[in-house]
Amino acid sequence: MSIRVLNPNAEVLNKSAALHMNINAAKGLQDVLKSNLGPKGTIKMLVGGSGDIKLTKDGNTLLKEMQIQNPTAIMIARTAVAQDDISGDGTTSTVLFIGELMKQSDRYIDEGMHPRVLVDGFEIAKRATLQFLEKFKTPVVMGDRPDIEMLKMVARTTVRTKLYEALADQLTNIIVDAILCIRKPEEAIDLFMVEIMHMRHKFDVDTRLVEGLVLDHGSRHPDMKRRAENCHILTCNVSLEYEKSEINSGFFYSNAEQREAMVIAERRQVDEKVKKIIELKRKVCSDNDSSFVVINQKGIDPPSLDMLAREGIIALRRAKRRNMERLVLACGGEAVNSVDDLTPESLGWAGLVYEHVLGEDKYTFVENVKNPFSCTILIKGPNDHTIAQIKDAVRDGLRAVKNTIEDESVVLGAGAFEVAARQHLINEVKKTVQGRAQLGVEAFADALLVVPKTLAENSGLDTQDVIIALTGEHDRGNIVGLNQNTGEPIDPQIEGIYDNYSVKRQIINSGPVIASQLLLVDEVIRAGRNMRKPT
Amino acid sequence: MKEIVTIQVGDYANYIGSHFWNFQDELIGLAGDPQADSVFKNQDLNMDVLYRTGETHQGIDTYTPRLVSINMRGSLGSMSSRGTLYKEVAPTTSDVFTWTGSVSTQASEPREKNLFLRSLYEEESQNMVNEISGSHSGSPSEYEDKDITESLENGVQFWTDYSKVHFHPQSLYELNGVWTDVEEFDNYGIGRDSFSWASHGEEISDRLRFFVEECDHVQGFQFVVDDSGGFSSVGAEFLENIVDEYTNTPVLLYAARGSGSRASLQTRKRTILVELHDAISFSRLSSYSKLIVPVGLPSLGRASKFLHIEDEKHYHSSAVYAAALHSISLPFRMLPVGPTADACSVSGAVDFHGLIQMLSGQGRQNMVSILDVSMPTPALTGGQNEVSLLENFQPLTPMISEDGEDIHAIEHLTVHGAFASVEGRRATVCEVKDSLDAAFERANTRPMFHHLSVALCPLPIPLPFPSIFGNQVGKHGEMISSQLTNSSSKGSLDVHSIPMAARLRSSSAVLPLLENKLQNLHRYGITRGAAGAELLSSWGFGKEELVEMQEMLSKMVATLCPPQSSSDSD
Ligand SMILES: Nc1ncnc2c1ncn2[C@@H]1O[C@H](COP(=O)(O)OP(=O)(O)OP(=O)(O)O)[C@@H](O)[C@H]1O
Ligand SMILES: [Mg+2]
Repeated sequence: MSIRVLNPNAEVLNKSAALHMNINAAKGLQDVLKSNLGPKGTIKMLVGGSGDIKLTKDGNTLLKEMQIQNPTAIMIARTAVAQDDISGDGTTSTVLFIGELMKQSDRYIDEGMHPRVLVDGFEIAKRATLQFLEKFKTPVVMGDRPDIEMLKMVARTTVRTKLYEALADQLTNIIVDAILCIRKPEEAIDLFMVEIMHMRHKFDVDTRLVEGLVLDHGSRHPDMKRRAENCHILTCNVSLEYEKSEINSGFFYSNAEQREAMVIAERRQVDEKVKKIIELKRKVCSDNDSSFVVINQKGIDPPSLDMLAREGIIALRRAKRRNMERLVLACGGEAVNSVDDLTPESLGWAGLVYEHVLGEDKYTFVENVKNPFSCTILIKGPNDHTIAQIKDAVRDGLRAVKNTIEDESVVLGAGAFEVAARQHLINEVKKTVQGRAQLGVEAFADALLVVPKTLAENSGLDTQDVIIALTGEHDRGNIVGLNQNTGEPIDPQIEGIYDNYSVKRQIINSGPVIASQLLLVDEVIRAGRNMRKPT
Repeated sequence: MKEIVTIQVGDYANYIGSHFWNFQDELIGLAGDPQADSVFKNQDLNMDVLYRTGETHQGIDTYTPRLVSINMRGSLGSMSSRGTLYKEVAPTTSDVFTWTGSVSTQASEPREKNLFLRSLYEEESQNMVNEISGSHSGSPSEYEDKDITESLENGVQFWTDYSKVHFHPQSLYELNGVWTDVEEFDNYGIGRDSFSWASHGEEISDRLRFFVEECDHVQGFQFVVDDSGGFSSVGAEFLENIVDEYTNTPVLLYAARGSGSRASLQTRKRTILVELHDAISFSRLSSYSKLIVPVGLPSLGRASKFLHIEDEKHYHSSAVYAAALHSISLPFRMLPVGPTADACSVSGAVDFHGLIQMLSGQGRQNMVSILDVSMPTPALTGGQNEVSLLENFQPLTPMISEDGEDIHAIEHLTVHGAFASVEGRRATVCEVKDSLDAAFERANTRPMFHHLSVALCPLPIPLPFPSIFGNQVGKHGEMISSQLTNSSSKGSLDVHSIPMAARLRSSSAVLPLLENKLQNLHRYGITRGAAGAELLSSWGFGKEELVEMQEMLSKMVATLCPPQSSSDSD
């Protein structure tokens, strides 16, 4: 999938040529990404040379699918991807903002202004904007019971930029429920405790929240039950397969009989472990109406499976490492690393365990658990690229909710923040700045408008008209965002359009850093790999 | 059954893999082909060791390699990363189920399939049965085999261009967002973090888990990594992950690279970068494995008098390495035969664990083995100049000493499809064993220990195999008196199978390679004011880590050095 952004052109160039190359590269990347932005943006279907399809409306995914070769573009792309790593959203806005900062600078540099002066102005404007953000943000109180309506509004705002409304709204509820499930008061939210699992589904898209865990494998023994109720769950990391001992496989020394004897002894050791599990099962299942399920991170070989199956035990092998943690959080008990630690207390519990088979793919549902702190979002879609795109949207939504809880604040969206910040810079900040650095502040302020402008453009509205209407309404003392359907100013608070505070903050922070670096080039240097780490 | 999961990391590793799987595919096809030579009928090889059975969503049975192959985005050519078997349900690309707003489609120019792939596709749709593989005999096609082999000779761009194998959708993984050209992805530093970045590592580990979970008892990972550039750090990080997750599962590691890639060391800066890359790459990779086999000569052109390799063609050189890997892998999947069965077609089965223990686990504990090959291998007796099999081996490991006399050496040999005599009668397993035992007795220097595996079944030469055989190689790989009239090389149309021998050996002959890495690491990376110190720190290596690597390499050297001469190290 090669959308090439400009030609690779990395020889050392003189300063002014290098500067223009940087500006052009930034603009080029902006042009590729701008149609992505907002709920009226365009979804992109990328078809590779071999027919592979990728579907995305996400700046992050799109960037990764591109074959970017221009070093400047790579630098911007890395910043944007880092933006996503850190805050989970705002990649498109980051690229647009950097592009627009460069574009605005271009005008002034053409008029003979030194980039250094602009960069000084950027720095002032950045600090002022961050301060303004503190005033502008909407605090959200996160007591014992978080403001669920607010969480839903934030999640919905994000997810609706990726999926059509009805689907987005269904997912929004699932996402918020998932977070509420895994949240423990006083602890950071670990999003890994929400498993995202997918399944193929004829022609349709469907998602649901499973309180419990869905594993992408099943038991490997024909006699094991495919469905069981009232299950004791043993979560363990114990090898139940015959392994040759490290010390000596005896090529030099041992004869056939000795080797045979060793094999038998080693097999016996495995059997002993299995027997201990069976012992525990007999103890806890004496009442006869409960079942026993072993979910093991290590392997279980056929003789061990046989023994377990004969005992009516369901056993899964090679579970994902992370599922060990999830299982314990979902079902209770603890993960056991040695059969010597087996106790009834180490077991978890699930009301229902069953297997679902789709072609060669098997799934095991561990459901009806008590008071879970881990859950699964199950996505069904007709093909890989649809599933992948929904997955991305779910991740965005989860991050948005987590951010809201951790930020304890949100920011009014639909361009409201950008318009207000811009007016603040122009009306208040600019005049406090000495000399030509004022122009840097102005360039920065105008660059902020790229968000409402692009939102307008993607809705087929006239950007000029929209900006005039928005700034006018703002100067009358109102907080205004853009109604993407009419082009009229709206109050985003009434519409429930909220963005993440930390995402906005990160954009304001990183955009000018990269733009300044690009403006202050002495020569173009091939971007190094280490650029992508958060700065 | 003891399954093997194969892992191929990087372009050249996949070039080798492509040939390797073509051999397997050909063997499977020949075993079921009534017209095939009888040696292919009952091979006593268990293909399930390398392959898995599965089922598509349409309920069609499949048989595909247990393979995880890691590629740079864009290096799969015309092959879909989902492979060819498991077709998606949704047929049209224009259906977007998730968005009611506008859709823009950006389609890359479809990659045209070459003549070979087109004929393969055609043959398949003609057969319409879900046969996984077929021999290249007979089916009427508008494509002439000659045109196909010729077009491959002139135009292989991707490893997929000559692959005749169906892959499982979980097998082919593309690294995206790396944002460098393949040519620039050429050192350890640039590949660093590519594995862990953007959940690549997690997705790759998931792919591996998919194949391992199915295994009743995995015997090991056959891990081939292209260690010439950024993929060696991808490989190292992947290995680290594997060692962590599958602690007791042995890894047989081939660190491979194409020929001639190091030809252009124009500047000193470049030389330092390359030497440091090699040193770092080698020590990182070996720190995660119990047995490492460095593979890849600067030039294969001179490696064998029976082969004509054009070094600049990866398609050529990788075929030789793949053949050797195939031979080495035979004992891992030999079916157990009763000790008395005399008409058996295999002998000397050994598993991963056994092989690794044999070569590196005992005595000196040397973990670096040398790969040698004899391709095609001469008949046991006769011939104009009586070359004995043992003297006919060519090393495929670079930088080793030729005259290494090492009384502590350990060798593992696989011979398959050998002829008893120049007349072209196939040797029985016993004949091969007797003949080799006798040869070892006669030899001036012999290893402290050797293990021999023998199979009747020769190496099949599939249609897309390159034309690299010399004129003196006959249809079944026998030596024929060369008709010097026609000097062009022979390919799969003239040569249908060849007898092979390959050898892994643990020997002090590998010392020059180890010393080279050690010296370069020291000279360019560690000594005071080292020219490459800055480079290494930009790759993320601290002093301590480097000293640790140096110590490890020193230890590897010391293991092999005879004790009396260990005084002059500095
Ligand atoms: N209903 C809406 N009306 C107007 N603007 C909206 C609405 N919903 C969201 N937005 C705005 O859309 C922008 C976010 O768009 P989008 O999510 O496509 O891009 P992004 O977050 O910058 O990048 P990413 O591609 O990483 O998601 C924000 O500025 C947000 O305020
Ligand atoms: Mg977004």
